[in-house]
Amino acid sequence: MADMLIPKNQTLNIKRYEYRLVYEKRGRARYISHLDLVRAMQRVFKRAGIPLWYTQGFNPHAYLMFPLALPLGTDSSVEILDIALTEPLDNAELKKRINEKMPQGLSIIKVGEPIMKHTMIAAAEYEITAVCSCAPDDALAAFENFISRDRIEIEKRSKKKGVNLVDIKPRITVAAAQVRGNALFLRLILPAGGEFNLNTSAVMNAFCDIMGIEITSICTERTKIMTSSGEIFI
Amino acid sequence: MEEIREKIEKVLLRTQKPARYIGGEPGSIIKDKNKVDVRFAFCFPDVYDVGMSHLGMKILYGLKNTVENWWCERVFMPDKDFEEHMKRENIPLYALESLDPVSEFDFIGFTLQYELSYTNVLEMLKLAGLPVLSSERESLTPIVVGGGPCVCNPEPIADFFDLFILGEGEEVNMQLLRLYEEMKPTSPTKEEFLLAAAGIEGIYVPRFYDVQYNEDGTVRAIRPNRSGVPEKVKKRVVKDLDSAYYPENFAVPFTEIVHDRAVVEVLRGCIRGCRFCQAGFIYRPFREKSVGIVAEQTRELCMNTGYEEVSLSSLSTSDHSQINQLLSTLSDYTDNERINLSLPSLRIDSFSRELIDRIAAVRKSGLTFAPEAGTQRLRNVINKNITEDEIMRTCRLAFDMGYQTVKLYFMLGLPDERDEDIVGIAQLAQKVVELYFDTPKEKRGKNIQVSVSAATFVPKPFTPFQYEPQALPEEISRRQKLLLDSITSKKIRCSYHQQNVSILEAVLARGDRRLCRAVYTAWKKGCTLDSWDEHFRFDLWQEAFSECGIDTRFYANRQRAYDEVMPWSHLDYMISDEFLVRENKKAHLAQTTRNCREGCSGCGVGKNSGGVYCG
Repeated sequence: MADMLIPKNQTLNIKRYEYRLVYEKRGRARYISHLDLVRAMQRVFKRAGIPLWYTQGFNPHAYLMFPLALPLGTDSSVEILDIALTEPLDNAELKKRINEKMPQGLSIIKVGEPIMKHTMIAAAEYEITAVCSCAPDDALAAFENFISRDRIEIEKRSKKKGVNLVDIKPRITVAAAQVRGNALFLRLILPAGGEFNLNTSAVMNAFCDIMGIEITSICTERTKIMTSSGEIFI
Repeated sequence: MEEIREKIEKVLLRTQKPARYIGGEPGSIIKDKNKVDVRFAFCFPDVYDVGMSHLGMKILYGLKNTVENWWCERVFMPDKDFEEHMKRENIPLYALESLDPVSEFDFIGFTLQYELSYTNVLEMLKLAGLPVLSSERESLTPIVVGGGPCVCNPEPIADFFDLFILGEGEEVNMQLLRLYEEMKPTSPTKEEFLLAAAGIEGIYVPRFYDVQYNEDGTVRAIRPNRSGVPEKVKKRVVKDLDSAYYPENFAVPFTEIVHDRAVVEVLRGCIRGCRFCQAGFIYRPFREKSVGIVAEQTRELCMNTGYEEVSLSSLSTSDHSQINQLLSTLSDYTDNERINLSLPSLRIDSFSRELIDRIAAVRKSGLTFAPEAGTQRLRNVINKNITEDEIMRTCRLAFDMGYQTVKLYFMLGLPDERDEDIVGIAQLAQKVVELYFDTPKEKRGKNIQVSVSAATFVPKPFTPFQYEPQALPEEISRRQKLLLDSITSKKIRCSYHQQNVSILEAVLARGDRRLCRAVYTAWKKGCTLDSWDEHFRFDLWQEAFSECGIDTRFYANRQRAYDEVMPWSHLDYMISDEFLVRENKKAHLAQTTRNCREGCSGCGVGKNSGGVYCG
């Protein structure tokens, strides 16, 4: 090719200022998928006129890092988004400017500097409130029965191996299981971030399938993102 | 609302792309309904992904919401999975902003962009819990309104609507809602309100007109059946685009939609007059926005939406009289802001090196041309004034710059089409491939792919081809096969449209009121989302036609006389019959007509509508 197109982003901005944002996603925003969220956040920054640092090359894009995806339908107030800017901004100012342009159900709770590395994320805590077609006491009994099984096998897809059976029993930590009102309430700690990721839906589907339980409505909230030693990821 | 919301949330996680059904997009407009006097449900009768890409909706949505005590909301056709949930859980059709049922609204407005969305209108009315027939909706509200290009012949759906809006909606929508706001306190009957509305220019109330038929089945006359309504309803035109309303913001979807970008309209109408093209006639006259206004609107929209891509919208962007200045002004801004500028609707004859550079912007996408016909003779018949030389010149430029894909759009079944024209399509594509191989290796891209897409010609109202028959189904199949057989290179990929779709379009596009029953019957049999291949059930449509005693060939494949009363003859789209007849005759002589810029050809629009080249 005679006339190579020149990349538009040849001004090297080597200096970058990094921020870690903790944000909330709930209500109407609960139904935004992870991929859609990435795009939606890019547009938020654009609207807010935040000087994002762009990657270099033919196809420059804003630097946004979501270290841990939140499953569709799960609420959270502990989500992490790392960004880089080309000039420093005051934390409170940054939070205010972003929140003014956020869609319903999304908001920044805290702005700080990244302390831990993404690779330190090892687990997440979830609170699940499930209304079942059976009585809540029966649902609790069924869950206790379920979790005391020797093995809990589910099908897990991976790119390399295809579908294979995995025992998730040792991966589930039950922090609480009780009846609350007409619902079964669970607090679970599940592996996250590393090579083995476990979603609440995988656990709850296994529960329903194995125990023959039908869930009529369910609310799930991620309440903590943690390191392997149980520290809160910051 | 809370009750509906709970029901929706219960099923959303079992729904494909659930964010389409819960609203909350940035840029969507939320008002306090207790402070609102007029509520308008703007319905796009297709799924969210398609409807959210539609510019007209964004304009009219923004415009109506500029009035503090009016609230316009968005409504789309649910996809099949969500519709099942709606039926099972008794969720009525609701609007995305308030989540309130649309049956509570003052107006339900449908934009009619293509014939294959007609059954969706019926389905949406039913989901709303309303009778689909206008005559069975006796209370004043909701008033069911239709607009958009299909309204130039709304007869096949006339029974389902209370009124239609002809032409451009900006001014007439405001007049209509204002009239309603004034009359509402006096609690008029539906009839009283419709009669008053019929006094507004551009508003057509089908129930006030009677249609008489000749023995041979053609229309004898269409006349008002009461005083106080016009003999002919004239379409509305916005004279000055610079001062016309344009939205400063869009509702920006979360899910990816068909056209997921900011869109700025640069001009309306078309100077070209390609004889098959309905848009080229019904949107006349040609009007453009000045460069400063387009630049201003681009900046505003990009800033407010946060989109990283903006596209210029028009029937033919390169016909803007200041195109080069426009592009350089815009790209100064977009380059600076890292925004991608995309330019669809460029004509082949206007391509220059500079223009190609601009399109190349960041990524090198393919080139798309629409020669429409395979030989010069047939291109003259349809008045598509492009020469093979021009196509080749542009492709040479593009190949020199490393372009690797060329898309060519054609039509099959055009009036006076001969086999040599079809073979000509294959030959033209072949020449493009050869041109690539003639390009020096060090210049050209690694490979070449020429895509030939051949749609079936559908004659449309208000075009010089409105008199023409569509080719019979067997004949279209033969021509499609001939085209396939004529293509020999592996570098050429050929695709054509599903033929049954084109047949149905041809029937509905030039149909009369007797088709309402067939549309109703097809819908009753389960036809919806007809524009989606996977849902299109031509067998059910055929059953419906035969049960209603409709011969599709009468509508699609019959040569119509110049003096035949067309089912849309009571609608005035400013294009004169004399002009259409003249153009039709010239077509059969393979004579071209100059474009509006070269000189006026007397189409009938006249000089009082703001046309750049009129008068």
